[in-house]
Amino acid sequence: MHALDVQKVSHWFGANRVLWDVNLQVAAGQIVAMVGPSGCGKSTLLRAILGTHPPREGVILADGIRIDGPTRHVGIVYQDYALYDFLTARKNVAFGPMLDETNPAFRLFRFPAWRRLRRRHLAEATALLEKVGLERAADRYPSEMSGGMRQRVAIAQALVMRPKILLLDEPFGALDEATREELQLMILSLAEENRLARQAGGQPPHTILLVTHELNEALYVAERVIGLSQFHEDGARGATIVYDKASPVFRPDQAKDVEALHKQREELRAAVFDPENLKKHDRYVTFWKDHADKR
Amino acid sequence: MIREPIQLRTRVILGIASVCLLLVAYGWLSHRQHRANPKDTTVPGLRQFVQGWGRLVHADAAGHVWIIEDARATYGRLLAGLVCGVALATLVGMAMGCFAAAEAFFHPPLSLLAKIPPTAMLAVYFVLVGTEMKMYVAMISLGIFPTLAQAIHQAAKKDVSDHAICKAYTLGASHFEAIWNVVFRQILPRILENVRLQVGPAMVFLIAAEWAVSDVGFGYRLRIQSRLLNMNVVYTYLVILAATGFAMDGALSYVRRKCCPWFGQ
Ligand SMILES: Nc1ncnc2c1ncn2[C@@H]1O[C@H](COP(=O)(O)OP(=O)(O)O)[C@@H](O)[C@H]1O
Ligand SMILES: [Mg+2]
Repeated sequence: MHALDVQKVSHWFGANRVLWDVNLQVAAGQIVAMVGPSGCGKSTLLRAILGTHPPREGVILADGIRIDGPTRHVGIVYQDYALYDFLTARKNVAFGPMLDETNPAFRLFRFPAWRRLRRRHLAEATALLEKVGLERAADRYPSEMSGGMRQRVAIAQALVMRPKILLLDEPFGALDEATREELQLMILSLAEENRLARQAGGQPPHTILLVTHELNEALYVAERVIGLSQFHEDGARGATIVYDKASPVFRPDQAKDVEALHKQREELRAAVFDPENLKKHDRYVTFWKDHADKR
Repeated sequence: MIREPIQLRTRVILGIASVCLLLVAYGWLSHRQHRANPKDTTVPGLRQFVQGWGRLVHADAAGHVWIIEDARATYGRLLAGLVCGVALATLVGMAMGCFAAAEAFFHPPLSLLAKIPPTAMLAVYFVLVGTEMKMYVAMISLGIFPTLAQAIHQAAKKDVSDHAICKAYTLGASHFEAIWNVVFRQILPRILENVRLQVGPAMVFLIAAEWAVSDVGFGYRLRIQSRLLNMNVVYTYLVILAATGFAMDGALSYVRRKCCPWFGQ
């Protein structure tokens, strides 16, 4: 069973065809990046997977569970952080466990039990903030933090739920170059956790689908890159997946091998952005053919 | 140059100077008036103020201590009216901000009600609920309700991003939790700010209603005493009302700072 299974998803807004027959399988533990021209429907696809805006046609399964509304199994990190201004970093992270494991009646009428549980949630949040390098800012409000720090909190907020799949919609788009690179390293460290878990014979903990418009970023942080574009046979009906291949895997402590990235970036650019390659996209959508073993 | 900053000391001195100027001008006016007519009560002097204060705090012929009875009546009405009005406006404003159906339903009557001066509605409340406590509560709460509900509606709609709400659902929130733990928490400081702005109007509505139909309360006493030209009592009551306004303002901004430390100044 796939962590994410998108089957024949199409979507349109009135006459504006956005997605056409999108099929995508992501195995548990994969870190996947998605690129595409701006306005091609990447966010629309993520919203469909998230369940907040179900697609007009098609089925989406997360670990076999049909998605027809937002659930705690699919996590999201937005470009604008979308933190809760009225909570400190620690409480922002503990917010998910609170909403997920308790209800208002429990919190009100079983106050002592709630207090005990709350202490555990806060400890868990503290541990996660340490993991994303924010232990010192745990008691700050979002308005007192920089963009990079807020995005770390947002990532911790999503990770604490251990979602079946975590979606990131241009998560670093609003950050400066240096902060961006730090956060890319953080994603790589999640990939490293996956690798160590696999090595130990366990389940890899993080499955991630990351949208970005930076081809280099996509190739660098992900182990598999997907291109979404209107430039294909049925382009008039919306965007579909026109590129799907494995990409070089880096370890967090490894230097970025720009040469290795460069070649694939040209191929990716041609497949996704060049109308010349209309109808040829089968040549580029080969991930599962190449890696049938990873299923 | 305009907007040139000044020192704090200069600022304080100028502030004190303006108050002193006001007092001196009043004293001079009072002095002049009393030279022309020693029995004058329109611009009372210090001695008359002390005298007036004595009438406020000592029982009159019928055994009533004015200041205590008036304060009890007016503050009771003000508090009850504010509590009802704020509760109603929060309920309706939140519902409108969270549910498009509630928005469509409440919008027309609310915008209509907002356009009618509440004091002009006095007769309606008078006929519908009589002159008891209920009338004052209706007057104040319905008087502040339209503006407050519209402000809360706007805050609930604009101050909470769709992303924050969508994310709450992915964190396992129920609809009630999305409303209570996300929307309400986010706009609480805005609600408190808007309540603060509505205290003034609420006092206007209350004094007007007391002036018209009450037999106790600040508004009633102001009407009777101003007719008798007992300005020493009138001015004292005005100062008490101003102090009330300051106290409520301070209390509400204290509550906001305590409950919502994350909300900037
Ligand atoms: N709520 C909406 N109503 C109408 N059109 C929309 C809506 N959301 C997105 N679109 C359209 O769908 C297309 C894809 O948008 P989006 O998914 O945001 O693109 P991107 O790939 O840049 O994230 C755009 O043409 C946009 O105009
Ligand atoms: Mg987008």
